[in-house]
Amino acid sequence: MNSSDLRRFATQVRGKFLEMHFHAKAGHIGSGLSSIDLLAYIYKIWLREEDTFILSKGHGASALYATLYALGRISDELMEGYYKEGTLFPAHPAALAHPDIPVATGSLGHGLPIANGIAYAARHVDRDRNSKRVACLLSDGECDEGSVWEAALFAGHHRLGNLTVIVDANGLQGFGYTKEVMNLEPLERKFQAFGFACAEANGHDFDDLAAAFSRLEGDRPKCLIARTVKGKGVSFMENKMEWHYKPMSEEEYALAVSEQQL
Amino acid sequence: MRADFSKAMIRKIQTNSRAMLISGDLGFMAFEEIIAVAGNRFLNAGVAEQNMMGVACGLAMSGYQPWVYSIVPFLTLRCLEQIRNDVCFHRLPVRLVGNGGGYTYGIMGSTHHALEDLAVLKALPNMNLLFPCTPDQVAPAVDAMDSLPGPSYLRLGISAFPTASTFIWENPETLTRQYAEGKSLTVLGVGHAAQMTLNAVLDPSIDADVFSIARYPFDWHKDGKVAESVSHTRRVLVVEEHYLPGGMGESLKVSLPCVDHFEILAPSYSVGQLYGSARFHLSQCGLTPEAIRRSAERQRGLR
Repeated sequence: MNSSDLRRFATQVRGKFLEMHFHAKAGHIGSGLSSIDLLAYIYKIWLREEDTFILSKGHGASALYATLYALGRISDELMEGYYKEGTLFPAHPAALAHPDIPVATGSLGHGLPIANGIAYAARHVDRDRNSKRVACLLSDGECDEGSVWEAALFAGHHRLGNLTVIVDANGLQGFGYTKEVMNLEPLERKFQAFGFACAEANGHDFDDLAAAFSRLEGDRPKCLIARTVKGKGVSFMENKMEWHYKPMSEEEYALAVSEQQL
Repeated sequence: MRADFSKAMIRKIQTNSRAMLISGDLGFMAFEEIIAVAGNRFLNAGVAEQNMMGVACGLAMSGYQPWVYSIVPFLTLRCLEQIRNDVCFHRLPVRLVGNGGGYTYGIMGSTHHALEDLAVLKALPNMNLLFPCTPDQVAPAVDAMDSLPGPSYLRLGISAFPTASTFIWENPETLTRQYAEGKSLTVLGVGHAAQMTLNAVLDPSIDADVFSIARYPFDWHKDGKVAESVSHTRRVLVVEEHYLPGGMGESLKVSLPCVDHFEILAPSYSVGQLYGSARFHLSQCGLTPEAIRRSAERQRGLR
């Protein structure tokens, strides 16, 4: 699968994602849009059958639902219920709702410790499953959580070479710019200091992502800092904090759709 | 009870290839033998309880049955949300083992005391609680937890009072024990607080039905003997080493049919309290064998 195939897939996911949010009148649009290209790369390139992916930034759930839908893992019927009364797909992933979503997230800082446990089991306890890998997608705001750094310390100490952390660094968090709320930089050097192999990439450029992933070498945990744009792909949403919360009006939806080109 | 847990855990590790022990950097002079037996199924997760609980969930999702050990407040309150979201929501077979129930840690101070653990854990979905009354109930409690498909919590404590050795009846499933028979009232000692209770009310002149209870949810059907006793005496005295709000006394009270008198003796927190042994703390908040006896006699007098 080359970059243009990935671009096509991501565009298809974006289209579904916007449709879901418009019909549901659901927020968290900006955070989903910043993750969609990363999810496309993870699902189409990185993830093998035996691997596990954990979406630790639970507020990006709809982007994950749309990705799984595009992969044929979620049916039309189930997807129809997204965000509605009686659904298995609320705004943040629910527990035991879908086999491809192993963890209920939404409270930040929970995914990486669990990813650690799965990676530790495969690497240090159950030697038969040594080939299993785990990827965990975090938001940059999530890295404010102390549990992320407890987990990073653990992953580094136990040399969890089968663990890959991807940070969706869109630079915006709940109520401000990350650099103003609680500066995380230099984020790559922080993970390096915790024992990770690190690389940075433009999180919307598939060639750059591929090159960065190939630089994550050695038998130690890996961390890719993906520099992304919140609201990516919809011009009037890009880098706007309000799109963490707002649903789309009919006009806004029409404009957003018109900007999606295969 | 920690030594009894260590012995029970060695047996689990030896007989169940999926059992693991994870410790939050504790276990000096207690877990050395387990470590020797467990090999890569023992993990010291360091002083990082939130990560430790998440790691336990990841191990459980990978097919293991982790037993996670620390001092009660660090095991329960520090990472309560990890227990709720990661362990309980996913109904994982993660077994929490907390040392130092109630005032067990005495002079170590308030940070080490555990007087809210049952309250917070009771509220979590799919959670089962075991609080052995005597050291010899630890192994059966471990077995009971091992047979549960979902989450559970073991509260280890040391009573400041001598352990009563003779009981007249035990339900092997719920671990409820009866220590005396009588007609004037029903006395329920919760967990290791049963020992203090027994020191106060075993006197035949009190004429009480005396039980110890060790499990939540409490099943009145399975423990029909207790239900029967309460329906005869219509007077209940509960003693626990846990704050009253959210304790076992409250849970028993709401699940009981109407009785004439229901009293809970439980510790309380006061501004300006002083510090000392478990026995000192119990005395400081008025929870003594004498106070228990006075309450029992008062209820008997109401008859």
